[in-house]
Amino acid sequence: MKKNLVIFSTLTISLLGVFVADLFWGSVHIPVKNILQALLWGNGGKEEWTLIVLDFRLPKALTAVLAGSALSISGLQMQTMFRNPLAGPYTLGISSGASLGVAFVLLGFSSVLGFHLDGIAANWVIVISAWLGAGAVLLLIFLVSLRINDIMTILILGIMFGSVSTAIVSVLQYFSNEVLLKSFLVWTMGSLGNVSGTHLWVLLPSVGIGLIISLLTIKMLNLMLLGENYARSMGLNVNLARFLIFFSTSILAGSITAFCGPIGFIGIAVPHICRMLFKTSDQKVLLFACIVVGAMLMLVSDLISQIPGSGMVLPINTVTALLGIPVVIWIIFRNQRISSI
Amino acid sequence: MKPIIETSLLSVGYRNGTQTREIISELNVSVNRGELIGIIGQNGIGKSTLLRTLTQLQPPLKGNVLIDGKDIAHFPKNEFARKVSFVSTEIIRLNHCTVRELVAFGRYPYTNWFGKLTQEDELAVSEAIGMVGMNNLAHRHINEISDGERQRAMIARSLAQDTDIIVLDEPTAFLDMPNKFEVVHLLCELTRKKQKTILFSSHDLNIAMKEADRLWLIMPDTFLDGAPEDLVLQHSISKIFEQTRLKFDSRKGEFSIRRKPVGYCQLTGKGTPLIWTKKALERIGFDTESETGDYAFDIDVIEISHSLFWDLKLPNGSGLRFASIYELTTFLKPTITSK
Repeated sequence: MKKNLVIFSTLTISLLGVFVADLFWGSVHIPVKNILQALLWGNGGKEEWTLIVLDFRLPKALTAVLAGSALSISGLQMQTMFRNPLAGPYTLGISSGASLGVAFVLLGFSSVLGFHLDGIAANWVIVISAWLGAGAVLLLIFLVSLRINDIMTILILGIMFGSVSTAIVSVLQYFSNEVLLKSFLVWTMGSLGNVSGTHLWVLLPSVGIGLIISLLTIKMLNLMLLGENYARSMGLNVNLARFLIFFSTSILAGSITAFCGPIGFIGIAVPHICRMLFKTSDQKVLLFACIVVGAMLMLVSDLISQIPGSGMVLPINTVTALLGIPVVIWIIFRNQRISSI
Repeated sequence: MKPIIETSLLSVGYRNGTQTREIISELNVSVNRGELIGIIGQNGIGKSTLLRTLTQLQPPLKGNVLIDGKDIAHFPKNEFARKVSFVSTEIIRLNHCTVRELVAFGRYPYTNWFGKLTQEDELAVSEAIGMVGMNNLAHRHINEISDGERQRAMIARSLAQDTDIIVLDEPTAFLDMPNKFEVVHLLCELTRKKQKTILFSSHDLNIAMKEADRLWLIMPDTFLDGAPEDLVLQHSISKIFEQTRLKFDSRKGEFSIRRKPVGYCQLTGKGTPLIWTKKALERIGFDTESETGDYAFDIDVIEISHSLFWDLKLPNGSGLRFASIYELTTFLKPTITSK
């Protein structure tokens, strides 16, 4: 217990450090004093500096925190639920479902109906369509799970649904024109910077609701560790548990996918890093650990993605893949225990 | 005494869409408090299905199960979890989980929504670990202990769950001989000392017969229920093996492979050496009791100054002396193949 507290404190302090670094670090060089002034008094000396700090860097850093936490919690929930170390928010086809929703709007409607969306409205339409896409896939999986009790079958069906969504997206891409295709491809690359202040006011409560529901599922997740038969024999309402876990995962992963595009590997890697750090299978500890470690890893990814002075920014999911894959491989080689959670 | 478990016209099996596959039909049994019941039957005969139905892991096809006179379908989930606990065949593999943490899972029906363990819960966990004799292993990780220890830990978990009834599906399946006996003996002790009612399925008729108060023999079309000794006296046990090459000796209470004797030999001697010599001769195919009185050899087990010797007299009158059963059987085996 005392050891956990030490690790948690260290992680939280590091998280704050990385958060501050993310505000200071960027393609445009701004003196430290001006950044502080912009944050504290809303005036960073130059108008563009104030704008960059308050309207770009701060929302982006907050989004990174939300995205990292949400994806990691979702990954933890899926890994425990399916008792599979390679499960993540994407294994069930949640992200593919969200992509399908977005593809319908960006590629389908715009070209078929001939209207063009712009500005804030366009972003909202994208968000809602992503939620609907993710929700649709999860609803389908949930309905199947009521009839089929075998959790592995459900996982395989999730992969199938995901593949179908991806296939439909490919068909839509094939038939769409260059301009629409480019806007869709930009979205699939994912970016934390897309989230402006007003979006944050939607993202924050969405992730908040997902987080609260996931807190309610902690005991259920712990019981699920022993498998469904044991969970049931210890009094768990398995269908309710599945519903709550799926629901919070779709809100968490769906919202992030909607706002930032598909971001991979955080969801798989972070729960493993947390298990290694805390050496426990207690979901209570792991869930809070995922919040802190996920946020931190996402901020680090964001730091890496920008090259100061050059004005170049790498797509965030490229960075998370480059960071996350070695972590997964390292875990496999280090203790070869990835076969169980 | 009022039975703790009762079934009335219970049919168990699987429902797959509109099709049903009934495995056990219209079963009427009752179980008294504090009984240890061994459920014996071939693979796929429906032992697990019956146990899963009794523990509400699957619904019955027809009929009811009553616990303390109340239909289990009407139990709230949490109340049922405080009444019946379950240990499955599944081997739990979890990284970073200690024995104590595993046992503590049993307290979940008693904890709040967050799963926080109170002092009372911690006490129950310690007591359960003590009952299965694992105090010294409490802080070991479950991936580092032996299969037998893990099985005992799972039993401790169900003890922590503090239920009157414990149901175990093949608790001895992956264990070696001493562990098999120890686990079943532990179950027996729990029924005596803690008044637990325990049902377990097993392939090990031998062990079940030695410890269980009652056996349920599940055979195609038949369900037999009784004390192990009753079943022996009713020749029920030997009936199970009628179709197989195994034979149950009601007098000795042991199993052997049914063989056709290759010959007969007359055996003389006394005590334990005589019994084991007989066993050895039976193993290589000789019977020691000929109905016609026609014997191929005479063997005499003798003891000379604390050493055992086996004197073999051949039909032609010549004699040989052996210093061990191994030497004797090695000499006799070629005579069988030449026949």
